[in-house]
Amino acid sequence: MPRRDWILLPALSLLTICLMFVSTELIARWIFPTLPTVGEDCMVFDDPSTGSRGIPNSECSEKLPDGELTEYSFNSCGHRAGMECGVKTPGAYRIVMLGSSIATGMRVPRDETFAALLPVELSQRTGRKVELYNEGMPWRPPSVIALHFDEVLAAKPDMVLWVLSPRDIWNESHPQSLPVPDSKASAPGSTAGLVLAAPYRVMVAFAQRSVPDVVRNLWDRKKTGFLLRHYLYESQSQYVKSYLMRDRDVEYLKVEPSEEWQTRLQQLDGITTELEAQARVADVPLVVLLVPERAQAAMISMGDWPTRFDPYKLDNELRSMIITHGGTYIDILPALRHILNPEKGYFSVDGHPNAQGHAMISRLLATELTSGAVPALKVATQSQAASGQGR
Amino acid sequence: MVLLWASIVFIGLLAKDLIVILPLAGFLLLGYTGFLLLERGYRRSLVWSILAVIFAYIWLKKYTFLPAGIFLHCPYFTLGLSYIFFRVLHLLIETGDDGHQKPRVGPVAYLLYMLNFTTFISGPIQRYDEFARDQFADEPIPLGPRMVALQFERIIRGFFKVNVLATLLHAVQDDALSQMYQPLPLSLKLFAALRLAIVYPFFLYSNFSGYIDIVIAMARLMRLRLPENFDRPFSASSVLEFWNRWHMTLSNWLKTYVYNPLLLLLMRRISSVAMQPFLGVFGFFVTFFLVGVWHGRTSEFVFFGVLTGGGMSTNKLWQLALTRALGRKGYKALAGNPTYIAAGRGLNFAWFAFTLFWFWSNWSQIDRLFAALDATQWIGIWLAIWLVATAALGSWEWLRFVLLSLRTSDGPLLASRYLRVVFATALGVAGLVITVLLNQPAPGIVYKAF
Repeated sequence: MPRRDWILLPALSLLTICLMFVSTELIARWIFPTLPTVGEDCMVFDDPSTGSRGIPNSECSEKLPDGELTEYSFNSCGHRAGMECGVKTPGAYRIVMLGSSIATGMRVPRDETFAALLPVELSQRTGRKVELYNEGMPWRPPSVIALHFDEVLAAKPDMVLWVLSPRDIWNESHPQSLPVPDSKASAPGSTAGLVLAAPYRVMVAFAQRSVPDVVRNLWDRKKTGFLLRHYLYESQSQYVKSYLMRDRDVEYLKVEPSEEWQTRLQQLDGITTELEAQARVADVPLVVLLVPERAQAAMISMGDWPTRFDPYKLDNELRSMIITHGGTYIDILPALRHILNPEKGYFSVDGHPNAQGHAMISRLLATELTSGAVPALKVATQSQAASGQGR
Repeated sequence: MVLLWASIVFIGLLAKDLIVILPLAGFLLLGYTGFLLLERGYRRSLVWSILAVIFAYIWLKKYTFLPAGIFLHCPYFTLGLSYIFFRVLHLLIETGDDGHQKPRVGPVAYLLYMLNFTTFISGPIQRYDEFARDQFADEPIPLGPRMVALQFERIIRGFFKVNVLATLLHAVQDDALSQMYQPLPLSLKLFAALRLAIVYPFFLYSNFSGYIDIVIAMARLMRLRLPENFDRPFSASSVLEFWNRWHMTLSNWLKTYVYNPLLLLLMRRISSVAMQPFLGVFGFFVTFFLVGVWHGRTSEFVFFGVLTGGGMSTNKLWQLALTRALGRKGYKALAGNPTYIAAGRGLNFAWFAFTLFWFWSNWSQIDRLFAALDATQWIGIWLAIWLVATAALGSWEWLRFVLLSLRTSDGPLLASRYLRVVFATALGVAGLVITVLLNQPAPGIVYKAF
């Protein structure tokens, strides 16, 4: 081997590494552009007296790498409702929807959320005007929902729809432990920023945190990581495998969950008892819906999962809990078995339902609501229901 | 001694408990006892030693045709046993055979050969004389910077094949498998069936050949040469050729110790000249039936063996029939025809993919799979796989030929050390990053603000 190769070959190797990282990052930024702002900029998360809330009359926009441009408009009550707050339209059947980020329709334009699609679908199926007022707000675990429940009932809705996700139950916490937003820190930079700001950021990061944390943090901010994850998680089985590697967050899927998870469920049971009682007094039906997480939907669709897990477990527990207290539980999970790759209805890395997922939830929810779960919305005949579905 | 200690540490890390190794130790002792008896001239013990080793093997592996009551019911270590089995039999046969130079194997050399960590888990199956030639050489084989670099390049390639290619292909197969069981439209099911059948052979190749790349390179860095186990198997244009390119050390072992002796025995017993070509057909069936049976202990592997042996013997019969119909020259001309070769390559791939159904699944899965589509649809799938494989593998061979024909003054462009450094670096970085990602938990719902 010529002597110059002792220098040339390692240099060539280093150059290859640098070129690979820079070119992949640039390609990733080109394929997956984002905005420096996020929807959470219009929200307040650190007010213990109210829990998370939207800033009244604010507007924000965001673009998820694999999502479309999303505008967030909050009305004078701080809700992303698509209408002003106040009394219902005369003659309309009003549903008030509660929940966290999924109910809010995070990452998805409002017109494509199930909050917007459901009333249209229900109006078509039932032949009566149905409107939905969305009070969903990210990071609203059941205890925060309970804080606002009397205000919800005071507005005299015809039905309250509470959209739960496994994450909400897990996030059940006291208001003082709510996370503090740091959107500026996570805002992705421009292409020029990649070259100019990176060394500074690295120096600051290393001065403040441990090396593995810094590496993980830097990696998480790079679009290369997003690009690779996005394509890896397109595979149903690979996503489920990677998701089940999580420790705490998959308790809801475990056949034998931890005591901590069981405590959360007991807390939820207490809160639902209280909410059901209030709803009964106000004579407003409380309907609870569990929206599965992406991995849960994938597992149900695959029909196969490791023995220590059961994607239906939480569904069964919630149904029993809600029905015992006299509420109505909407069960959409079994229907996912008949849908091809329902996990494609979610953003592969972010995990929130995307527009396709919101349409899927709206369709399944409308079918359940009009098939007798809520008497006021029951479609009279099967043929009517079928014609409604056809539309 | 370095190799012995490394091997002991390797097994210790895998086993973690001394007691679970005892059955394996017993198996090794049984083999060595048989070897000592033969070495001391007790030639009659050869058959009994071989039978005892075979029985001990199927007993320890819990082959399902044995009554369950006779098995050991405590947990024990069987990793590597399948390959130790071949090495033990090889030593016994070579020692007991008059026609061969008997190997001299002391207890330490025996343990070194049996437990060599580079070949312990999945081969390749090395002959003792080849192992001893390097391991006990007065002058160790040279290991210059170029050789070290070549081995690192091979380790990177193997790492990429095992950790990235095989993992991703396995995910594709899992996805296709789950779609076969879902209530989906026919077009999607047909596509899933196509993916399911096509992907598994590539997964198996990436996984196994990647592992072999790593162990051969590691052994070479320890100045030990291991035999190659793969030689571009999907370029084979017939089933007979395929098994000369796939898991070569296994098929060579079986040809040496099963096919050849069986053929000699049959030729001695059956003197009819007309029958002699068919003795080879029968010999192929038996030999490659054993390939299937060795791979697993259940009836699925017996069937896999029937298909593998059946494929080999049918291919041999086809050769005989064509030779008879076209004459030797005519058959040779046909066998050299590029279209015939390409079609044969595709057919071999489709057949291998079909036989592997009994390799990776069980009867209940197979029942469900074959019930998911009707017979006509499945026939259509296999014909489509034949066509797709013919076109794709043919294109790959053409591309390979074109790339290898690009030359510089130093030789083929692809062999340039500069290009290889770039390729190995890219493969290594990509392999590392994707491996880390694959082993990281997927995020749940992400709140961007936090």
